[in-house]
Amino acid sequence: MNVHFKTPLGFFDTVRADVRRPHTFAAERVGFVLAGAAAAGPDVLLLARGYLPVEDGDYLYEPRVGAMIGPAGIRKALQEAYRTCSGLFHIHMHEHRGQPLFGSIDRRESSRFVPSFFNASPKVPHGVLLLSADAACGLVWVTPKAGPRVLDSITWPGLPRKGALA
Amino acid sequence: MSWLDRQSFLGPNSANTLRAMTIGVVGGGGGGSPILQQLAHAGVGTFLPVDHDRATRTNRNRLIGMEPLDALLGRFKARMAKRLIRRINPKAHVRPIVGRWEDNTAALLCCDLIVGAIDTFKARAELEDFCRAHLIPYCDLGMDVHELPDGGFFVGGQVAFSLPGDLCMRCMGIITDTRLSQEASRYGAAGPAPQVVWTNGALASAAVNLIISLFTPWHSAAPRSTCIELDANQGTMAESNRVTSFRGTQCRHHPLIEAGSPMFDIRGGSDPSHGSDYWDKAIGEIARELSSAIRGHS
Repeated sequence: MNVHFKTPLGFFDTVRADVRRPHTFAAERVGFVLAGAAAAGPDVLLLARGYLPVEDGDYLYEPRVGAMIGPAGIRKALQEAYRTCSGLFHIHMHEHRGQPLFGSIDRRESSRFVPSFFNASPKVPHGVLLLSADAACGLVWVTPKAGPRVLDSITWPGLPRKGALA
Repeated sequence: MSWLDRQSFLGPNSANTLRAMTIGVVGGGGGGSPILQQLAHAGVGTFLPVDHDRATRTNRNRLIGMEPLDALLGRFKARMAKRLIRRINPKAHVRPIVGRWEDNTAALLCCDLIVGAIDTFKARAELEDFCRAHLIPYCDLGMDVHELPDGGFFVGGQVAFSLPGDLCMRCMGIITDTRLSQEASRYGAAGPAPQVVWTNGALASAAVNLIISLFTPWHSAAPRSTCIELDANQGTMAESNRVTSFRGTQCRHHPLIEAGSPMFDIRGGSDPSHGSDYWDKAIGEIARELSSAIRGHS
């Protein structure tokens, strides 16, 4: 089974514009992407449904990390995932060009929280997405107990799946 | 020297991008065949022509690549499409689908773009709905022939380029409730489904222009949905005024939140039923637990 992530036109541009906005105290902004799912033979398509920015007041002051979201911010994202039966993908950005790569801290931290997303929306995969200025990569959990796997492709209108690297 | 050298202005990596593309073409007749031909010449690597129909004598006025024997033997249009493409690019991958697209959706989900060259508004609307639900760009061709009140005919048509997240064919005024209900009588003016090779060719060229510019842009303009209208009587082709006036507005007909299948379940089983109180409580608990865990790392 391969897992492919697709977005509509200009979707990641909208996310980038949001997470690039400065915050009063958080060093960076993060957000969530809602995704629908569809089976394509043995493969799974994850289809971006919307972007949920984290509101200014939902960040917690924590100078040791780039950004920390408070319970209210997470609750809003989980409720939307539950209400719409969507997959929930935490998203942040590394400000450089070229293929972004998850660091060891990203992987460790996401392994702590992504499996819990299945409690809110158990039918669909969940994960994390990482943007650069012109590319994206992602990790996906197809079950809460399975470990993360790299998304096989991330595409948008105009980017062929066969040519896409996740 | 590559056989695509004369289109190197599309970019240094354009040949690889075109080779990587998978294009589904629903309708392998007069509308679909010139698109298949042009995309094969352009270097597109993989094709899924879909048509359940066989060639008949009356297809020969417009079906590109058709030979008299095809009608005599009743060859399937989808298989003729494979022959057309492979004669142009023997390395192209072609998977002809003899059948209805509705019965072959799994194959179409692999497509990077789907072209619809089918007759009825109902079928065109359904194919666009499928594409929107799976975030697949859709390119639709429609040709019109109307009898004019003072004699003669108006011949025209349009290419709709419907990109997920932007205007759709309903926004463009191509699919309307009135048209859906009246379409049975629309083609009556000049016999059943009138089509001619020259207007199909013009519409196909406009469509291929939009498709290639989406994948290998040669200019800086951002891709967007559009509708190009052909007036064959005047010999003009221009963007629809309706699209121009609706530019920048959100599509109300295909909300993104509907993307995907509502029946999808990765577990392959049924959802344990819980009331909304259970979920409200559970979400609150999860949110508190995760508050310390979810953080960004710069």
